[in-house]
Amino acid sequence: MDRALRTRLEARFGDVLTGPLRQRHDETELRIAPKDVPDVLRSLHDEPDLRFELLADLAGVDTGEHMQVVYHLWSETTADWLRVIADGIPRDEPRVPSITFLWKGAEWLEREAYDMFGIVFEGNRDLRRIFMPPDYLSFPLRKDFLLPDDAARSPGEGARQMERANAPLATPAGSIRRTKA
Amino acid sequence: MTTKTGQHPSADDPRVIGQHPSADDPRFIGLHQSADDPRVMLDDGVGVYEPVPPYPPRTEREAEFYTLGEGEMFLNAGPHHPATHGVLRVVMKLDGERIVDLDPVLGYLHRGVEKLCENADLHQTIAYMDPLEYVSSLFCEWPAVMAYEKLLDVKVPPRAEYIRVLTGELNRISSHLLAMGFHALDLGGITPILYSFIERDEIVDLLASITGQRMLFNYFRIGGVNGDLNHDFMSRLGDWMSRAGSEVMSNTTLLNENEVFVRRNRGVGVMDRETALGMCWTGPNLRASGVPFDLRRAHPYSVYPELDFDIPTRSEGDSLARYLLRIDEVKQSLRIIDQCLHQMPDGPVTAKLPRLLRPRPGRAFAAVEGPRGEYGIYAISDGTDQPFRFRIHDPSFLHLQSFNVLAPGGLIADWMAINASLDPIMGGIDK
Repeated sequence: MDRALRTRLEARFGDVLTGPLRQRHDETELRIAPKDVPDVLRSLHDEPDLRFELLADLAGVDTGEHMQVVYHLWSETTADWLRVIADGIPRDEPRVPSITFLWKGAEWLEREAYDMFGIVFEGNRDLRRIFMPPDYLSFPLRKDFLLPDDAARSPGEGARQMERANAPLATPAGSIRRTKA
Repeated sequence: MTTKTGQHPSADDPRVIGQHPSADDPRFIGLHQSADDPRVMLDDGVGVYEPVPPYPPRTEREAEFYTLGEGEMFLNAGPHHPATHGVLRVVMKLDGERIVDLDPVLGYLHRGVEKLCENADLHQTIAYMDPLEYVSSLFCEWPAVMAYEKLLDVKVPPRAEYIRVLTGELNRISSHLLAMGFHALDLGGITPILYSFIERDEIVDLLASITGQRMLFNYFRIGGVNGDLNHDFMSRLGDWMSRAGSEVMSNTTLLNENEVFVRRNRGVGVMDRETALGMCWTGPNLRASGVPFDLRRAHPYSVYPELDFDIPTRSEGDSLARYLLRIDEVKQSLRIIDQCLHQMPDGPVTAKLPRLLRPRPGRAFAAVEGPRGEYGIYAISDGTDQPFRFRIHDPSFLHLQSFNVLAPGGLIADWMAINASLDPIMGGIDK
């Protein structure tokens, strides 16, 4: 845990944080609103005492109540991974500003998050499906997309709140429940 | 003409030479008459692959790509193409023999590993990691177990960490040897891949003697590894190490001094430092562009801080630099293996853990330096025995993306060299 980084980040981004700044193991976690993503990431990338030059990962997350986009960044100024969570994106119309103006390589990562979660990245010039076929309608990694059979059911029977609400028994055999396009 | 039974075929048998089949014949639904020889009926679907998709463009970029300019044409390569390192389709827009633009089409190998892992328990997910980058499976398992160990606050015994590094570096050498061999194969040289396979075969046999499998090892466990080093492994590794350095290096002289190989790679697919960072490159490809970024030093994990090795870099950033850098890395990996054998402590190889693991709710990100770059896992636990979210980050995905930057302006043949030097593995890209 890099305490100095925590102080620096709290001083710099204190007014845009939407949750507490958490640290565990070698990770530091920021929570911001989706509209602040371009400004915060530009500051993290450009400012000389931060210099987060490497985008280590971009992931979509569906918590069941809302969507998140999670950025992992690396910098030579700190020994920690920095995790920036754009939190509270509505599930029925997920929209986030794109960061392809900072990292051109984020284009395909955003395409993947769009393909799997339906998150629309505003400003990405090429936001189309990347893995699934073009006529596919649902978003497979959303939590209301249930696997048709339990190919890998664990001993714990997956006691998951979301999946209990939509009991798999209600799904017709052999079909995949589709979300709205 | 007689059939096997010796009887003459009936007059309406279409196999009779000289009798022209007609397309209206109900027996030939789905076939069409060949233009070259009217007696030959061809399958309608074979030999016809329309590169332009049969639906309106979804984005501006797609519309721009699938509009031909003056004197341009489309060429479709793949999905079954020997130089695409897997099942990849690339649509190229050509002007003569020069590539104007290209559009990789992915998803032919998509299995939904992330979704499968979110419906499997923690131990089961490790087996799903292996077939991702099937030539360097240990580096796919490694970040997964590291992420779980962070979620569970498990301390891995030092002997297990040394075994992970030892087997990992062996796996790195075998992966690099394969990359170097296939690089030559893609450019038309058959011999180097055969020499690569001699050493690689020895390594996969070594790893099979402790893991039980040649390619998909499923060897790492949460909190350690599955099984200690055995006598068979140690004696064969000792034999191999005594000759590995000279053997690997003598094989590389086949290519390094080959004028055809060098000329086809030098100055091809040049990537500069800033663009490489912008395209989120990592691993040997980034280091060949002059950035000394190696997670083993940049974000140390396991026992790498205790080991002495260098991070080779090159400034040219072309295909040849990416190839030569892999040779330098093999030398460093041999150094690391040597130190592991000398410094390996005694002790247990797994931490004591219950069989059913339920980590407390939380998030963890772990990344390792694989043979292709940063391999990362972001795991979210919701308190059950299954990961709530399991994100796999693959470096090849981002390297493949830079085709659009590297290939335009070059020849079709240069595209082969660029593809081979980036060394993408489609199993990991398509997940």
